[in-house]
Formats: sequence, C-alpha cells, structure tokens
Amino acid sequence: MIRSSFIELMYPVMWQVILLTAITLGRISSVCALEPAGDLPESLRSFDREVWARVGERTCLRCHRADGEARESAFLLRKERFSSADQISDRAENFHAFLSMAVVSETTKADQSRILLKASGELEHGGGEVLKTDSAGFRVLTQFVEAVRERSASGASTSELESAALKVWKEEDRREFLTDVTPLSTKKLLRRIALSLAGRLPRSEELARVDSEGRAAIRPILAEIMNEPAFFDRLKEGFNDIFLTTGIEDNAETLLSYHHFEKTRLWYQDFDLSHIPEAEQERARWKLADVYREAILREPLELIAYIVRNDRPFTELVTADYIMVSPYTARGYGIFENIRGQFSNQEDPFEYIPAQLSALTGRDGKTQESLTGLYPHAGLMSMFHYLRRYPTTETNRNRLRARMIYQHFLGIDIMQLAPRTTDASAVASKYANPVMEAPDCVVCHRTIDPVAGIFQDFDDMGYLAPRRDGWYQDIFEAGFEGERLPAEQRWRAQQWLSERIVKDDRFSIAMTEHVYYLLFGRRVLQAPEDTDDRLFNSRRLAYREQRRLIENVAHEFRESGFNLKSVFQSLVHSDLYSADGLSALVETDERRAELDDLGVVRMLSPEQLERKIAAIFGTRWAKLEGDFAVLYGGIDSITVTERNADPGGAMGAIQRLLANDVACAQVAKDFRRPAQERVLFPEIEPDVLPGNATSDERIRNAIVYLHSRILGREDRPQDPEVTRTFELFSGIIQDAQAQDRFEKRETYFCGGREDYRVDDPHYSVRAWRGVVTYLLRQHEFLYE
Amino acid sequence: MMGSRRHFLRLCAGTGLGFAAPVGLSQVLGNSVQEQAAESGYVGPYYVVFNASGGWDTTYLMDPKGRNGINRLYQDSDILTAGNHRFAPTEKQITAGMSNEDFFQKYGSELLTLNGLDLSVNNHTPCARYMATGKLDSLAYPTFPALAAACLGSDAPLAFLTFGNYAATGNLVPMSRVPYLQSLNLLARADYVEGSATHQYSDSFVNDRIERTLESQFEARVSQARLPRVERSQSMLYSAQTSSKALQRVTPFIPKEPARERLWQQADIALASFCAGVCVSANLSISQFDSHNNNDADQMKLIPEFLAGIDYLLRRAEDLKIREKLVVIIQSEMGRTPTYNNGNGKDHWSIGSIMFLGAGIEGNRVLGATDDEQMLVPLNPVTCELAPQDGIRIRPEHIHLAVRDHAGISGHAFCRQFPLSVPPDEHLKTFLQTKM
Repeated sequence: MIRSSFIELMYPVMWQVILLTAITLGRISSVCALEPAGDLPESLRSFDREVWARVGERTCLRCHRADGEARESAFLLRKERFSSADQISDRAENFHAFLSMAVVSETTKADQSRILLKASGELEHGGGEVLKTDSAGFRVLTQFVEAVRERSASGASTSELESAALKVWKEEDRREFLTDVTPLSTKKLLRRIALSLAGRLPRSEELARVDSEGRAAIRPILAEIMNEPAFFDRLKEGFNDIFLTTGIEDNAETLLSYHHFEKTRLWYQDFDLSHIPEAEQERARWKLADVYREAILREPLELIAYIVRNDRPFTELVTADYIMVSPYTARGYGIFENIRGQFSNQEDPFEYIPAQLSALTGRDGKTQESLTGLYPHAGLMSMFHYLRRYPTTETNRNRLRARMIYQHFLGIDIMQLAPRTTDASAVASKYANPVMEAPDCVVCHRTIDPVAGIFQDFDDMGYLAPRRDGWYQDIFEAGFEGERLPAEQRWRAQQWLSERIVKDDRFSIAMTEHVYYLLFGRRVLQAPEDTDDRLFNSRRLAYREQRRLIENVAHEFRESGFNLKSVFQSLVHSDLYSADGLSALVETDERRAELDDLGVVRMLSPEQLERKIAAIFGTRWAKLEGDFAVLYGGIDSITVTERNADPGGAMGAIQRLLANDVACAQVAKDFRRPAQERVLFPEIEPDVLPGNATSDERIRNAIVYLHSRILGREDRPQDPEVTRTFELFSGIIQDAQAQDRFEKRETYFCGGREDYRVDDPHYSVRAWRGVVTYLLRQHEFLYE
Repeated sequence: MMGSRRHFLRLCAGTGLGFAAPVGLSQVLGNSVQEQAAESGYVGPYYVVFNASGGWDTTYLMDPKGRNGINRLYQDSDILTAGNHRFAPTEKQITAGMSNEDFFQKYGSELLTLNGLDLSVNNHTPCARYMATGKLDSLAYPTFPALAAACLGSDAPLAFLTFGNYAATGNLVPMSRVPYLQSLNLLARADYVEGSATHQYSDSFVNDRIERTLESQFEARVSQARLPRVERSQSMLYSAQTSSKALQRVTPFIPKEPARERLWQQADIALASFCAGVCVSANLSISQFDSHNNNDADQMKLIPEFLAGIDYLLRRAEDLKIREKLVVIIQSEMGRTPTYNNGNGKDHWSIGSIMFLGAGIEGNRVLGATDDEQMLVPLNPVTCELAPQDGIRIRPEHIHLAVRDHAGISGHAFCRQFPLSVPPDEHLKTFLQTKM
C-alpha cells in the first residue's frame, strides 16, 4: 500500500526529471554525435553479462515487470526469451529501461543517480534495499550509470547508445557457441538413437539409408523407431523416472477406494479358477493378484504411451477425459462387462484401451456431483495413482500435490530455492495465519494454495472424499495464478485447472524438459546463482545456450499440435545431442565452464545396460534387477527416486562382474555356432593365431568388428585402439604359452562343461574372452 | 596394490579427481594417516551423519520443555539431567529401542548438543539441503560427508556411502548406495564366478593383462582433447573400477547374520566399509519423523529406534576397535512446532537442534538454547554463551564451517570451491573444542 501511494505521488516528479534530462541530452546530442560502436564503454557493451545478469534479471525483474508488484512503475523490464531474435529485442528493451533510469538524477540528493539511490534503499523504494553498496551488483550498476552519464555529458543520446549497443550484441550473437565441438558421425548418431530409444542396434537397411542419404536419413528412421514397441517401453520408463507413479507401497488394488469399489476391486478373490487343478488354485490366485496389481500400476504410464502412439496432443497428459484400463483393471473398476468387446484379447492383462468411469457412487448410495454423469477425468492429475503417490495430511492440505503439479506440468520447482526469512519461527508465531498474512509466506502460498484447493475433494489416500465441513477458510481460495475457481466448476475442478495449464507456455517447456531428461539422463541446467563466481558468465552462457534450445523446441512442440514425437525429433537433431568431441584442447577455464555440461555422456541405467547387452549379444544379463539395480544406480520409485549416474566402487565392481560374466557366457557360446550365425566372431576361428601377417590381419579385422559391435567405434585395422586390443589378445596367448601347462579347453563355467564343451588348445578362446571382457569394461560400452 | 594405488593417484591428479592429505583430526588421532592409508586404505577419521528424516521433535529429546502445552507426555518437573544435558523422559513411553534416559546416561559425557539452530525456512526439501550442505540457496553444494570423503579419501571405493537423506556430492566424489549387506560379498569377489571363493573367471595373468591394457588406454586418453563431461566420466569410471578391487578387504568384516533393524543394517555396512579402509563417510537415515498426525506416538516410536541405531553403531565400533576414530553427527532437517494441531500432530518448525560425539569433540556440553516458547536464543559466537541481546542466530553454515575446521579440510581446494558465507567474527572457533 505504501509503495503504491509512493509511486502515485512520485510519478509527476519522476517524469519531469526524465523529460528535463531527455531535453538536455537531446540538445547536447545535436551537437556531439556518439563515436563508433567499437568505442562503446565496456560497461555498456557488457550490459547483458553484467548489469542484466547480476542485477536486472535477479533483483529488479522480480517486481518491475508487467505482472509484478511494481507493475505501475515507469521502470518496467521483461524476462528474456531465449530464441535469438527475441533475446536481443528483449535485451534492447531492458537496456532502454536501464538507460532511461541511469540518466535520472535526484536533485534532493546532490544529483546522485536515482536508480542507485533506489537500489541501495537511500530513496524510498517499494522493494527497500535490494543491493548492498559494497556488493558486486551495486558496483556493476554504478559503473554502468557512470558510463552512461559520462557519455551523456559528451553528447551521446540514449538512442545512439542503444543503437551502438545493438550493433555490438548482434555481432556477438553470431559467435558460434559450438565452434570447437565436433559432432557424432551420422552412423554413431543412428546407433545412439537406436540403442537409446529402441534398445537395439541399427538395422542394415538403416545403415544403408544413412550411407545414401546422410544426416537426412535420421528423421525418417527416428520416426519409424518411435513406432516400435521398445520405444514405448523406454518412454514409459523415462516418464516413470519423472512422475514415479509406480512407486506405490500398498497393494495396488488399494488405489481403488473401498467406498467406491468395494464390490469389484478384489475381483480376483472370487475369480473362477475351476479349470485349474484344485491343488494349484491357491498359487494361481496369488499370481492372478500379482498380475492384476502390476496392471493397475502401469495405467498412468500407459496413458502416456497411448497419447504418443496415436499422435494425440500431449496436452491429454492432463486433459484426457479417459483413463487406460486392461481387462484385469477394468474388472477392478467394475466396467469390464461394458467394454469387454473392445479388447482384442480379453485374457491379456496388459492390453490397455481408453475408458471412462461413471461418476463414483459410494457405499452410502450417494453419487458424486457431475453434470456429465462421468467421473471428471483430467489425465494424470485425476488418476488415483498420482494422488496416492503424492499424498496429503490434515495440515499439508494438498500442498504437496500442488507443488508436484507445478513441478511436473509447469516445470517450476517451488521448493528448489526457498527464500530465506529473517526468523521463520517468529513469523510463524507473529501472525495468526502466516500463510495468508506474513509476506515471507504469502509469496509462495499465494501460488501454491489455490492449486492445492483444486484437490480439496480428495483425501490423504487419494480417494474422492469431500470434507464434511467444506474446504478450509484460512487458506487462499482454490484457483490458478490469480484466477478463482468458479463455484459452478467445482465438480470438475481438475479439468478446469488442466485447461489452464495446457494454455500456459510453461507446459510445453516442462514437457520438453522431460524429454530432455529422458534423452540426456539428467535435468536441464539451472541458471547460475553465484554472481561472484568468476566463471559466472561462462556458466550463464552455457545455461542460455541450453535454454535457447529448450524454448525453440517447446515452440515447435506447440506448433506441432503438442505432438511429443516432435520434441524427440527436435532434440535428437540438436547440436547439443550430437556433440561428441573437441577439435582442440580447451585452453581456458572460461571455455571449459561453457562446455562443462555438453554432450550426452551418461552412464547407462541398469535397464538401458540390460537392453544394450541383449542388443549386442542376443540375451540379457538379467542380473541388474531389484536391489542389484539399485546398487547400480537404479531407482525403486519409492525410497530411491533419483538415479545415480556417477559410479563409485560398488558400481565399478558390478561393471567388472558384468564384464567377466557376460564374456564368460557369450564368447565360447558364439564360437560353437556356425560362423554365419555368430554375433561376435563371424569371420574368425579360434585356430587363427597371431604371428604372421595374414593371421594378424584377420585378427585385426575381427577386432574392428568387435569394436564396432560392442563399442560403436568406426576404427580402421591399424587404429591405435585396435592395436591396443590386438596386443591384449596376443599378449594373453603369449602369457598362456609361457605357462608350464594350461587346460586345453575353456573353463567349466564358461563353456567347459561337457554339454557345451569348447576345446581351447591354443588358449585363443579365452584370449578372445579376455578381449570381450576388456571391451565391456570401457566407457564407450557403459556410457552413451 | 601399493604401486597401483600410487599410479592411480598420479593418473587421477591430472584429470580432475583430487586428493589431499588430511590434517587436523589425523593429528588428533595420533596416526600417520597417509602412511597407513597407503598400506590398508583409508584409516580414519570416519564420519557418520545420523539423520532423522522428516523432522524430529526436539522437545522429546535434547531440548525438553514440558510447559506452555508444548509437550503432553511430561511436565517441566519431569525433565531429567545427565551431567550438563537436560532431556525429556521417555522410558515410560516406549516399547522398543533406547530411551533418552539410557542414551544420555551412556553417552552424555561425550555428547555435545546445540539447541536453537535456525533453519530459516520450514519445508523439507530446502531444510534438508541446508542442513546437509550449510548452503540454503544452492543446489550445487556437496553435503558434509561427501565433502569430507572427497577431501580425505576419494580414492576409497565407497568413499561416501548414503542410505537416504539429501546426498548431493558437488561432483567431487561418487556416492554409493549399498542397500543390503550381502551384496558386498558378491562385489568383493567380482572376478570370481558367482562370488565363489575359489573359481576365478579368468587366470590371473589374463586379469593382469586386461588391467594393464585399461590403464594404458586411460593414460593415452588423458592427453586427448575431450569434452569436459567425457574427461570427467572416463576418470570416474576408471577410478570406480580400479578402486573397486579394494572391496575384497570388506569380506572379513561382514557379519554372518544381517541385523533386522533398519539403522543397524546401515551401520553394519558402514562399519564393515570403514574397517576395510574403503569408506570415509556415511549418511545413515530413517524416515517417517514427519509427525503431522499423532506426534507423540510417532516420535515415541522413532526417537528410541533412532537412538538405538546410534548406540548400535557405537557398540559395534567398539568391538571393531574403530570407536575412537568415529565422528558422529546427529541431526534432523527441522524441528516441530511448539503447539499441537487438530490431528494431535505437530507441523514444521524452523528451529532445531543438532548433536555431536566422537573423536576430538568435547562432551558433556549443551550450547545454545530455545526459550519457553521454543524460540531461538542468540549465541555469542566467540564464547558460545547465550547472548540474547547481541548474539547471533546460529545457522547451518556456522555449523558446517566448524565441522570443516574440525575435520581439517577448511583449507582444501574443494572447500574453497564451495565457500560458506560466514563473517570472520561469526566463526564458532570454540564450538567443537577439539580434544588434544
């Protein structure tokens, strides 16, 4: 209130000062033109990196924006958009705003700069003191103001300064961020895509297409990959990492409330198993229950797969007026008989089709309010799985759910960087209702609590259970971003919310970031916070380069009608996805910081690693499951929810074990096959030994093949890496020959058993096993 | 092994993985830490952070009130003491675990308590991050145990173990999750078929060849132009695989029968890893302290379980003869309100407590305080005495700085990489009062 009054009072005075200054400057500028842009003082040239990055963006913009607290101020800024043209135009606008303020003096304070006085709190300012006078930010702002004043005094007008700066920025913008970065070859890119999204190696026809069409072949091949069943498995796995909806501790049928599904949710208990011998029925019923539970847990992810598979707008993630059910789960909801004809196989527990639930009727005979007669589905947001996964309490009041809605669907983690209060306990004690009264609390609760109110009819377990006394009165009303939920929309509150979420550009950005996570294995960069960090500008540049990509892809996503496949296409075709190496050593810390996060370079998750082993060798290792998967950095979606992609000793031991075990299982087995059926050694036999040019060449060729198949390398026979592997192979045979004696067949465990007997008189099978073990330990195999 | 370790250190030194000689506590312990480390891996000190995840009720433990309706299970007059410690009586309330009476009786003489710790916010995520790292407004900072592991022994294969809680590492050291004890047996014998003691997959000379070839490949790549992520991940991978061989030292320390209690299981894994010289620090954690409903029942179940876990660790460490090398930090991300809500629960409170015991820590001390309303009483940072008028609010960054000093790592490059913004006149120099 005080701030508003002050602004109203000061407006006329402020404008007088601005006008007078402008007139003065204009008069001077008519006689003294600005020097060429190249002479623009550094503090003006670097406006974006200094004043904007350290002060404007992180301090002023919080309030001085069209929708901010200081929206009535003459000093209005705008959040930068990251597409190239928009960014420079936004920057120019902000530069203009700062220039305009920099030339305004405060006559009552010895003609000091008004903007500096305001920032330091020496002049009344709605935001109070926002910069300490000894801070880096204040120093930067002071330099900027001094430079502007100096130039003004020399006769430069603000418009001349603006056009000079614009010229500099356009030149800078042409600088290639990835100038020294080399991309993946097209074949390697194809391998990365095929393994990452389809869990297989590239097919020969795809490789041929790449040979003939080059990079242009990637788009249609990727489009085909995104129709393969394995892609949808990867999609579901990736989105479960984000939504964690399989992380339900209770038996999954408890997601369906006793109150509404009492007679159907435990259908398996009475299911007719008379066709099974009586002695086996109990076990069969347990299995039936297990499969049913698994089928329920999969429903939210099947919704995602269904939307993407059918090229439906991904906005249905939150707007779908249906859920996905299988023959088993439909029985749980009590709708199987109504829709059974729509299943192709009524016995398949995992065949999912879309279906709608009627408005829920409780054991007391009351039916939930619904103008359509249907349960008001709103995609994931109204699914019992989601509501259970993010429960509430009497005092939490759905705030966790609201927080997750912001995080999952708008890409905003409200809790990420919570603002510090001077004394949170005092605040909590001082106000009768801090969340609505204390400014420190209101700042977040004004956003969170209305969304929490949207879920007011769902209880801690995620069941529909409107509160007897209605929603709380001592909390901000249900709504979204300043808009109240109309009373007549209350019955379909989540649908009302979802309609608003999908219209918000942040939705498309959040979905793009989810796909980025899936492809890159890590979250997008956060804006650097530490302005005193000497590498701040380098980190900021990297951040902005990535934001530019994300915002551009999100734009294309919207233009595509929210087809999620477009996000995969755009990101896969981005320079950041195919960044592979460097053309020269990095010379400076600054450049190193810029490149710090570049490249996919992710350690494969347990699931990915199993798929890769299956793709290369034909069978999974089948050990990276359950607790062992968690040990290898996996998640259980309940207590362990973040993947660990940095190997420590435990993971290193698993890698050694894996390499030993897979090589043991595969090498001798491969040699037992006819050559044309082999996956590892199609053109070499164990009796080819090193020692003469012909056999050495054959061995090198075999190594080139193994490097290609296992590591995805494109080596020539004389490549140093091939030589290294060759020396390993020949060295092992030499060492073996130097022993007094050695067993003339593979070990019992790796092909030595009578039923799989593999003779190995020269030790060459074991040498090849050593080679495969070595390759399986390598970065190029264990990472993508 | 010795040569290989030295060689590995040399390789990694050039690739961003850092190592340093620990000072401070190593001197306190009277060991030539570096010499011993070279022989048998990391030899201590070992850092254990016990975390009561969800927010403990400090008034049912080390900061008792018993008035103004803050507690329903006891009155002011029921508050007990052990030396300088005041604590809430719990013996009559609990059905399992360790009572406060037993805990303070047994450990009070070596226990340091700080009451009135200002968490500044009262939500789980930022509070957990703040308590763990000493930095509220950054996602990049490492937790103290990760930082200690990076500074003191990042070549140890399980340098930083975590069983929950916020576990960011600042990219300084990998974190390891070992969910069950028996998995260590298998990992310790990665070169043996199915973890057997006798059947190697390959002859030793083959394994040697493979290791040498990997080493030569790693060396060759050090000088190549690589993306920073590639460089980092290749180093980390090589380090993980190389150091993992030291896990074979863990086997003798793995108990034959796994413990049943969850904290005990975690303690067994940590202790076995400490004894084997493969671990520097561990986060031990149990959750469900977030007692928004039925606070008293929940806290009376969980606090005794928590204390019993601490007791187990200390007893087992005694048996294993590494007790004097342990530094134990006992914390939670927040406290609970001084009032009960309508569900007989207590909500989040931004004032908390923390306890320490172990090597170099002067016990039988209680610093800081909260008043009868459970509000923080400021502290003089120099004397560590209460100073309601001109004292400061002790926050996690003050604690972390003191703990870094205590560990002798404050001057390490990794600590300088993650500085804590504490004015010099607010350093808690006498806080932990290292016993010399």
